[in-house]
Amino acid sequence: MRLAVVVHVTGTLVRLFAPALIAPAAVAALYDERRDVIGFLVAFVAAALLGTLMRRAGGPGAGDIEGIRRIDGMAIVAGTWLLIAHLGAIPYVWAGLAPIDALFEAMSGFTTTGATVFTDFTAFGRGIFFWRALTQWVGGLGVVALVVAVLPRLAIGGRELFFAEAAGPTDEKLTPQLRQTAIALWSVYIGLTLAEISALALAGMSLFDAICHAFTTMAAGGFSPHPRSIAGYNSAAIDWIVTVFMFAAGANFAVQYRAARGSRVALVQDDEFRAYTGVVLIATVAVFGVLLWDGLGAAGALRHAAFQVVSILTTTGYASADFQLWSDQAKIVLLLLMFIGGCAGSAAGGPKVVRHVLMARLTLRELRRTLHPRSVLPVKLGGRVVPEHILRDVQVFMLFYLLAFAVGTAIVIALGADLVTGITSSIACLGNIGPGFNAVGPMASFADLHPISKIVLTLQMWIGRLEVMTVLVFLRLEPWRAARWGAA
Amino acid sequence: MRVVIIGGGEIGFALSQTLSRQHEVFVVDHAPEVAARFEALDVQFVLGSATSPDVLAHAGIAGADVLVAATGLDEVNIVACAIARRLGAPRAYCFVSREEFLELHDQQGLAQFGIDRVIWPEAELAADIERIIRAPGALDAESFADGAIRLIEYRLDAGSTLAGHRIADLHLPHGCLIVAVRRGDSFFIPRGASDLAVGDRMVVMGTPEALREVARRTTALAMDGARQRVTIIGGGDVGLRIAERLDETDAAAVTVIERDPERGEMIAGRLRRALVLNGDGTDLELLQAEDIGRSDVLVSVIDNDERNLFASLLGRQLGVRRIITRVSKRANLRLFERVGIDVAISARAAAVASVLHQIQGGATRLLALVEQGAGRILELEVPEGYAPRALRDLAPPLNSIVGAIVRASHAIVPRGTDRIEAGDRLIVFTTHEAADRVRNYFTGVKA
Repeated sequence: MRLAVVVHVTGTLVRLFAPALIAPAAVAALYDERRDVIGFLVAFVAAALLGTLMRRAGGPGAGDIEGIRRIDGMAIVAGTWLLIAHLGAIPYVWAGLAPIDALFEAMSGFTTTGATVFTDFTAFGRGIFFWRALTQWVGGLGVVALVVAVLPRLAIGGRELFFAEAAGPTDEKLTPQLRQTAIALWSVYIGLTLAEISALALAGMSLFDAICHAFTTMAAGGFSPHPRSIAGYNSAAIDWIVTVFMFAAGANFAVQYRAARGSRVALVQDDEFRAYTGVVLIATVAVFGVLLWDGLGAAGALRHAAFQVVSILTTTGYASADFQLWSDQAKIVLLLLMFIGGCAGSAAGGPKVVRHVLMARLTLRELRRTLHPRSVLPVKLGGRVVPEHILRDVQVFMLFYLLAFAVGTAIVIALGADLVTGITSSIACLGNIGPGFNAVGPMASFADLHPISKIVLTLQMWIGRLEVMTVLVFLRLEPWRAARWGAA
Repeated sequence: MRVVIIGGGEIGFALSQTLSRQHEVFVVDHAPEVAARFEALDVQFVLGSATSPDVLAHAGIAGADVLVAATGLDEVNIVACAIARRLGAPRAYCFVSREEFLELHDQQGLAQFGIDRVIWPEAELAADIERIIRAPGALDAESFADGAIRLIEYRLDAGSTLAGHRIADLHLPHGCLIVAVRRGDSFFIPRGASDLAVGDRMVVMGTPEALREVARRTTALAMDGARQRVTIIGGGDVGLRIAERLDETDAAAVTVIERDPERGEMIAGRLRRALVLNGDGTDLELLQAEDIGRSDVLVSVIDNDERNLFASLLGRQLGVRRIITRVSKRANLRLFERVGIDVAISARAAAVASVLHQIQGGATRLLALVEQGAGRILELEVPEGYAPRALRDLAPPLNSIVGAIVRASHAIVPRGTDRIEAGDRLIVFTTHEAADRVRNYFTGVKA
């Protein structure tokens, strides 16, 4: 690890991020929320200043960005996300939130978790709600992906960054150039966002709310300016529109890009997309059945079942109904979905469908191997053999993921939460989902948890968004021991 | 006729052996040690690189009638053909060993080099074996006229209802014909009065429907429509191709045994459902552990006759019902069948026979060899101006029989009253010795 390079590049990323704070400042100014305008401007100045200073500090010794190594890339990505969350928390502090709460809210935004500590929504202005939505939208595809798209200089060394941040075990590029890939992904992302804004506006939502919701849907985030989330609009049309766009947000953007580019079979041929669709259908039918049994009308049961299943699976975390009040039979389905997540290469969090597909095939392979000890059994995905090292990565990932979940759960419960609250808050944050059950249910907030619990959950969001290994590798001493300031 | 053969390997030698009896043969090879082998033959050996125009000119390419490129290197073969065509050879046949070149040829990509025909012996062998596997209980299977006419060979087991009867009494369905019988060392075309006996190998030609009925009466194996279990020993070009074709269509539950771990990985990656085992096909313990004895068919296609034979015999001991074995040395073909292999089949023999026929045969085509070349299936075109006449009024040469008449709209298996007309294509079964006479009889005679 070469610290000069890490500091320099991280500074560059932070400085590039700073202008994002101007937009909510403008919104706040539009609605005449002076206190918030100042908060955003303070944050903007802080980000710009910090970024510039870090660039300077890294200085000329960090000249060759092209030589970024894997460990450097991980440090840059992990550091950038951590710094941006802190800077993004400044407006919340200015608006009256306690520092720990503000950091929780900001991290929840950038990691597209959607867990909130807000209790009284009337206490905050529109600028703040816009900022919440914007943090998710920016975090959805990834800060690095954005920067690579706009900054050609990073495109070469950016490779390590791009894949350290990318969601899921994928290293496919749509185009020979990383930059074009990033641009292609962003074009799908922006296109879907615009489509959802118009659809929601047509369905009767106010433009401001439509923009905020489109931002947080496409990011699989889940923040809503409405205290009762989507349920507050009480409209079947809006529920179904959001369901469709959440489903798109949870599917691989690269595959969608290819499908949009004329390869009509791209979606059908994709193993992960098929599994993803299958999970949605099966879970929807299961929840639908339970809701019917519990006495809901068929149309309502289907609407809420589909909405909630897609919302939880894609790790968005909206609520079209207070599912805290549903029976345990329906809730267990949702809880299981929390451990799956969306597709690789999407905005969704969680362990990703493709990892589960690979784990399932790995399990079947070991079963088959017991019957035929001498057999050669490659694991395949989409007709292609998956290299053993990727399979190993997947197993290790799952192990660490569950470990991170268990540690988080234990701490939250040790600090006074009940069992269900502890389990669901931990997985909801690690999986970047948002709401859980009981005290952290869809209509409740994380505000009442122990402050240390909130810090742990904040870390879990960070760990979960960066797919565990990028962060956990720094728990080992080795990268720190090998760290030097400049080039060797 | 002057024939130039590039490459003095097995194929080149086999071709020279036959062709040198009647034709002027030049053999080009760059290895001096190969020359010794050709000294016994009446051929002109030219030492040098086949891709050198000088060497080809020295081999008399300007006056040659045909060039056969049969070195082990595909690229050399292609380049040699291209140069030879430039230098004046009117025809060029090219042996290849990789799929890409066969595909390229199919897409006319090799035509620009002047190559008339591309032969990939291993692919043809794989296709032959696949056809045999797909016909349950069969020892040989061929398909003509786009599948309208098929040929299948069976052995009459003790349980068969056909053995012990005169052919005329069998009342076989219309549209099929027993064209040949092999009994011990004798091979003959039976008549209505001929008897069938247990242990006979019977060659039947007919329409697919009629042959299904024959199969039902011949072998119990054909009865169950269940998917066959096929074990393939050796994952080389041939083994992989067979496995791929069967796997693609889910025609059989396939197990491939390959010795080389890396090759095994590659094969397993290419196949969807087949089971690939890493091990030796001659490892009895492995065969027992994997219950290979329950296979319906065992195909041994290692590139080594001894190990093929050993693996096949182990399979036989374990109880496999049908065993197909690849044979490289011609001399081993008969021997293998004598010790209990159901089908001994050679890639090179079929390819060499097919090239020989094309060089010598003119307008007729050799469709297939039966019983290692003892029987041949020829396709003849009845020339314009041929006065139509009934089959029973013809006196075709001894040891030949018209198996099918193919017309524009349909194909029939003829009876005595059916008429042959100009423009018909005849599928004729003949013995090896009678082949030339048959050719002359149908295409030469005028009414």
